[in-house]
Amino acid sequence: MATTRRSAQRVRRRRVPVAPYLFVAPFVLVFAGFSAYPIFFALQLSFTNWHGAGALEIIGFANYRYLLTSPDFWQSMATSGVLWLLVVPAQVLVALTIAVALRKAKFRGVFSAALIAPFVTPLVAMAQVWIILFDKDFGAVNQGLSSIGLPAIGWLTTSAGAKVTVALLVLWRTTGYAVILLMAGLSTIPSDVYEAATIDGAGAWHQFWSITVPLVTRTLSFVVVIGTLTVFQLFAEPYVVTGGGPFNATRTAGLYLYKHITNSDLGLGAANSMLLVVMVLALSLASIRLLRSREDS
Amino acid sequence: MKRPGTGTQLGALGRYGLLTVAAVLGLAPLLWMMVSSLKPGADIISSPFSFDPGRLTLTNFRSMLDTIPIGTGFRNTAIVVVLKGALTMIFCPMAGFAFAKYVFPGKRLLFATVLTTLMLPTLVLLIPLLLEMSQLGWVSTFQALILPGAIDAFGVFWMRQVILAIPDELLDAARVDGANELRIFVSIVVPVIRPGLAALGVLTFINIYNDFVWPVVAVNDEQHQTLQVMLSALAQNIRSGQLGADWTSVWGQLLAASTVAAIPVLIVFVVLQRHLIKGVMAGSLKG
Repeated sequence: MATTRRSAQRVRRRRVPVAPYLFVAPFVLVFAGFSAYPIFFALQLSFTNWHGAGALEIIGFANYRYLLTSPDFWQSMATSGVLWLLVVPAQVLVALTIAVALRKAKFRGVFSAALIAPFVTPLVAMAQVWIILFDKDFGAVNQGLSSIGLPAIGWLTTSAGAKVTVALLVLWRTTGYAVILLMAGLSTIPSDVYEAATIDGAGAWHQFWSITVPLVTRTLSFVVVIGTLTVFQLFAEPYVVTGGGPFNATRTAGLYLYKHITNSDLGLGAANSMLLVVMVLALSLASIRLLRSREDS
Repeated sequence: MKRPGTGTQLGALGRYGLLTVAAVLGLAPLLWMMVSSLKPGADIISSPFSFDPGRLTLTNFRSMLDTIPIGTGFRNTAIVVVLKGALTMIFCPMAGFAFAKYVFPGKRLLFATVLTTLMLPTLVLLIPLLLEMSQLGWVSTFQALILPGAIDAFGVFWMRQVILAIPDELLDAARVDGANELRIFVSIVVPVIRPGLAALGVLTFINIYNDFVWPVVAVNDEQHQTLQVMLSALAQNIRSGQLGADWTSVWGQLLAASTVAAIPVLIVFVVLQRHLIKGVMAGSLKG
């Protein structure tokens, strides 16, 4: 910070007014054209009943009223909420355990590569694999279950099964990413903290709770926020694996939004987008708050 | 004091056991996909866990080529990856440089904008962007696939962090020698940040190659379909039963197509994974 300020003063004395604007111009243009303008346009649209053609007719808060009293909207939010519960706590737990194990392990590079490979594989390709693996009658998962005497599960044909199947895909794809993030957080903890604790006779479990967890809450909250953003924006996984079914059981907030596009209910869709922004920002801020307050105590 | 005993040995055993299980779980679905794509369709169903080198075949890949214009998909994805990737890789360091090394009116506001964009769900932009594209007459064009998202807030943020670490003396020395600002950026900043740029490149490549939501919305003709959109259309046909009752051959094709789509990105990953992991780690360290 100190060096930034010093350099800032030096640059100010040199007076270079044009160059920074030229450097930042492409970012500003792309941002203004394809992020800022659309957002304001969406806000405007959310107060209209536009279907894609003709003049904009302002209908006030009718879209918002409709959505907030619509069982379909709340079902989509609840579905995303259930997926959040299935994915985020499990991910934090598993990723933190693996990251801690990885901290002192040899062949760290090999393990991290194996763990993050799912994250780079095209989602749509893996969604196809999931369809085949989790098929009720022919899928490898049920064949595996029956070989150890367990009954077949309707992974894609029951409401609970479909949610779990989608959640497993999300967990499989993103947990390695969370592990790498947490490893970065762990690497900032100086090792003499652990040495001191060992000398004081603190066991591994005690060290984990009193050193590791408090010192990585920052990274943990980052992992939770990323997980929240991911789950509430889930689109491709349910779109490809279940198409939102069975009986809308996996119609996430993202898929419900997409339905407005295919129905040409664009004003309604815009209002739905705005509600989703509010929801995601509120959830992200809440998770940061929650973990920060832990850090302070 | 620490004493080597059964405790630490058990700990190591547990640690490596856990890591091995995690690594196997991470790789198993990928390996299953690749191996199964080489098996006769009927075997995928009757014995999903078998591996008999004698029965491996390319039938699935041949019939996939007959049903899916996968070459077109690859071409379209390549066009988007190269052009969009190039723009991102040029614009992000430029903006990062301006934010790291200059003082100018409006800087704080612009930078706050970058940070806010990081939190914004992309889904929100779907509808207004689609409308903007139709106003511009860009629906089902490469511009629509390339220009929105040709800048990445995370990339700007991260490039700023990397460039902040360059000592000002280096830049000032060049100024004393008479170099202009563009020259300083191109011949001093860019070479120094090359490792960070490589990591951004891998992340960008993977993101654009795997991108799905926007291409599915922005394109509705086969000519501009990216690989991912093509793949998902195939699965939808299967779900709605349009491909008939011959499940075994269809599943084989689907696995072959998925394998073909995964291979380029996996090769890039294997070659450049060090950079990728560094890039992901950089994401969490700024907190």
